[in-house]
Amino acid sequence: MKVQLEKSFALGGPAAAAWTLLQDLEAVAACMPGARITERVDDRHVKGTVTVKLGPASLAFRGEVEVKDVDAAARSLFLVGRGTDTTGTSGAAMDLRAHIEEAGTTACRLVGAAEVSVSGKAATFGGRLMSAVADQVLQQFAANFAEKLRSLPVQAPDEPAARPAEAAPAEPAPNPPPAAKRELNGLALLWAMFRAWLHDLFPARRA
Amino acid sequence: MGDMSELQQREDALQGMGTSLLRKEDARFIRGQGSYVDDVKLPGMLFGALVRSPYAHARIRGIDKSKALASPGVVAVLTADDLKPVNLHWMPTLGGDVQAVLADKKVCFQLQEVAMVLANDRYAAADGAALVEVDYEELPAIVDPKKAMDADAPTIREDIAEKKDVGHGPRVHPNHIFTWEAGDQAAADSAFENAPITVREEILNPRVHPCPLETCGCVASFNKTTGYLTVYMTTQAPHLVRTVLAMLSGIAESKIRVVGGDIGGGFGNKVPVYPGYVVAIVASIVTGVPVKWIESRIDNISTTGFARDYHGVGELAADADGRIKGLRFTALADHGAFNSHVSASKFPAGLFSICTGSYAIPNAYCRVDAVYTNKAPGGVAYRCSLRVTEAVYLIERMIDVLAQKLGIDKAEIRRRNFVAKEQFPYTTSMGWTLDSGDYAPALEKVLQAVDYEGLRREQAEKRARGELMGIGISTFTEIVGAGPTKTCDILGIGLFDSCEIRVHPTGGVIARLGTMSQGQGHATTYAQIIATELGLPASDIVVEEGDTDKAPYGAGTWGSRSTPVSGAATAKAARKIKDKAKQIAAHLLEVGEGDLEWEVDRFRVKGNPEATKTMKEICMASHTGNIPDGMEQGLNAVAYYDPPNLTFPFGAYVCVVDIDKHTGEVKVRRFYALDDCGTRINPMIIEGQIHGGLTEAFAVAMGQQVPFDENGNHLGNSLMDYFLPTAVETPRWETDHTVTPSPHHPLGAKGVAESPHVGGIPCISNAVIDAFAHLGVTHMDMPHTAYRVWQQCHALGIDGH
Repeated sequence: MKVQLEKSFALGGPAAAAWTLLQDLEAVAACMPGARITERVDDRHVKGTVTVKLGPASLAFRGEVEVKDVDAAARSLFLVGRGTDTTGTSGAAMDLRAHIEEAGTTACRLVGAAEVSVSGKAATFGGRLMSAVADQVLQQFAANFAEKLRSLPVQAPDEPAARPAEAAPAEPAPNPPPAAKRELNGLALLWAMFRAWLHDLFPARRA
Repeated sequence: MGDMSELQQREDALQGMGTSLLRKEDARFIRGQGSYVDDVKLPGMLFGALVRSPYAHARIRGIDKSKALASPGVVAVLTADDLKPVNLHWMPTLGGDVQAVLADKKVCFQLQEVAMVLANDRYAAADGAALVEVDYEELPAIVDPKKAMDADAPTIREDIAEKKDVGHGPRVHPNHIFTWEAGDQAAADSAFENAPITVREEILNPRVHPCPLETCGCVASFNKTTGYLTVYMTTQAPHLVRTVLAMLSGIAESKIRVVGGDIGGGFGNKVPVYPGYVVAIVASIVTGVPVKWIESRIDNISTTGFARDYHGVGELAADADGRIKGLRFTALADHGAFNSHVSASKFPAGLFSICTGSYAIPNAYCRVDAVYTNKAPGGVAYRCSLRVTEAVYLIERMIDVLAQKLGIDKAEIRRRNFVAKEQFPYTTSMGWTLDSGDYAPALEKVLQAVDYEGLRREQAEKRARGELMGIGISTFTEIVGAGPTKTCDILGIGLFDSCEIRVHPTGGVIARLGTMSQGQGHATTYAQIIATELGLPASDIVVEEGDTDKAPYGAGTWGSRSTPVSGAATAKAARKIKDKAKQIAAHLLEVGEGDLEWEVDRFRVKGNPEATKTMKEICMASHTGNIPDGMEQGLNAVAYYDPPNLTFPFGAYVCVVDIDKHTGEVKVRRFYALDDCGTRINPMIIEGQIHGGLTEAFAVAMGQQVPFDENGNHLGNSLMDYFLPTAVETPRWETDHTVTPSPHHPLGAKGVAESPHVGGIPCISNAVIDAFAHLGVTHMDMPHTAYRVWQQCHALGIDGH
């Protein structure tokens, strides 16, 4: 079961800062609902877990993320993630290409394209919900990411981008954004999906 | 001669053949006193839980058991490496292939068995199974059988990649299993070249699963002191399984006891030997304590014997009057990752060549190409005698396609092509000899019962108003009762069957058979045969099956073979006893055997109605000294029956459907089923079998399928998705019959359980497609769910959206 996702989110902050933040895997993971990095293997490899809870069912994936490519000039990143859930009944894999687009001096966009595939019980039971779930996960991620970016110390927009290794966000954000929950909330997710579905159903009334 | 009412009373007291005796087994079942394999609880028993692969195709880089072993209650974790020393990590299949018992270095289908966790209780075993860490490297999967033999297709079975043959002739690709053909290709081709009319259609029999209420499982108990192995298991063929276990384990067959117990439905799903059984047995041999393994519903639908997955192409050639001159049917068969389906050795594609059906087709040819894919193994199952459903579906669909092309009525084209009554026994162009049949009267009886002409008039009116109504006909011939040992064997063992009858001094009878009831009512049917043959009341006749220590050898119950084969063995054994009884009666009455005649329950001296010996009197006498000189005491007999031919029950069905063109919803308004299974032993049980078979036909035609995504993930292996009709969805069934006895069966009986499934599926499909026939539609693949039928409406622009 595969889904292709292409998303673009507006961010309130300079492109350079967003790019720096994007390269900090721990910070990025913290923005991802239900994701956690458990071990940094080396510069390009981390191990972590992702938990998705839907009502009584809880899927906990553990796996590895590899940074395949970092292109500082294009401010783009290529990640490959792969994992199995802890009961061994499901597998998941993701190829993610993300880059930061400049949109003026204090605004930019986060543009991502991902291919997510799941197998086993996750595909059997979750396959038909996958697009909608992934959509909502990414919405929450983008909101958390934007929030985190806003909370960063302001840098001069024309200052050259700091090198990743010495990036400022190495120190944790003073106040973790409240939306960065450790687990994807199933009820909130269902509500968001229901709202989106209603919107599709009655677009005219909302116009 | 006694007066008629007295004779009738005696006859009624027997409750023999022809009576709708209530099922003797139901008293237990409806009180919850059945004993299924999961009811077996032995002291010290361990539970096994299987670790299964989430991937359809992957290499196993390593298995880490440490966390599982540390889990409370877990006793052991078995993997292929642990089975290797006893050489049981692979096992031979009934299809001539080998199958991994536990995945050896790679997995070839989703939910394949990878490891078994043994624990003190079921919950601890499940917890332990979740902690076994398997490191997989995912490989590209082949899901579409049409791509299995592509030049760049990944090799699924590396273990046999180099083998030129896996039991059924040369292979042309690593994912090719066999190519099998029947009939005369040149003759068929020439018929097509010379025919004014030809039709061709691609017709899919999708992958479905019988989904019996009870899943598969076993309790294996090996006694290290005596070396005896007892296995309680869900099996339709206990004796064959015992032989396989002896071959696999090296334990003497006399020290293996397989016990079937009560079985909650089989439908062909419980014929094969599954890895779970084998691992549980090995585990018991290793630990010396009993081990239980029971499948979950998802495991059952995902990994055990599925049915069909035949991608067919049907072609008919005919003259302008619709008389069929030639038939060419081919099928691409998706057997999954191992060729483990059950079939007679010489028939790798089962009895598919019965595909000429009820029709006299002078030139016919069929070919089946079987391939491996990354799906669970199987193929032959589901209330169907080895690929008969696929064959009958093709011919019953194609004859409709031909009628449509010629503009001939769908009943009329069948009349024009039927094998005529006087042609029986009729040898088809594929080589089968149809023993008996009388097709035309059966069809006429049904057409009259439903007022066929009236229905067609109503349909014409509705079509004029833009409404969708369909009338489906199916006039099928089944082939059951495998089979003659000269052609039919499994692992070299002929498909005969057996019955042992012991008559006690007071006239009580116990009969033991090589078959295995899964709900067919054997305890009643066999008792009724004996009651009529021996003149002893059915109520005092006990039937036992399924315990290999007690019953004589037989090939089990599948392919509607119980009545055609074991029913005949029962009659034969009873007749041996009756012959001896006659000698005793002659001795007691001091007459010659030739002076005796049989009357319901006793021997009577011809011309002297008062001189009689009842069977009960003879039973007692046979246990005394007052028997003919040199005769042994007792009234016991064993009979083995090797059928001279298969039997060919047939039927004529009509189905009427109304379809909502806006939603695609199909409503079966009427279904009229006439079955001819020859001599009818218990009409009530026959009717019950027909209701069940039609309901399963409805399930297949209207909703069942086991779909996969492009990576080989199951998309519908739980009862949330898999359609199991309840009384709410199931239409009302009207049943009828004619009786054309089999000339070679001792009782004239033919077997019936599968007919309604085999004949019902095309009948429903034909009705649905007939609703669209006036719009140029010639075929729609099953299942005819509302969404799929709506898509057809939408494509035709008649749905109003």
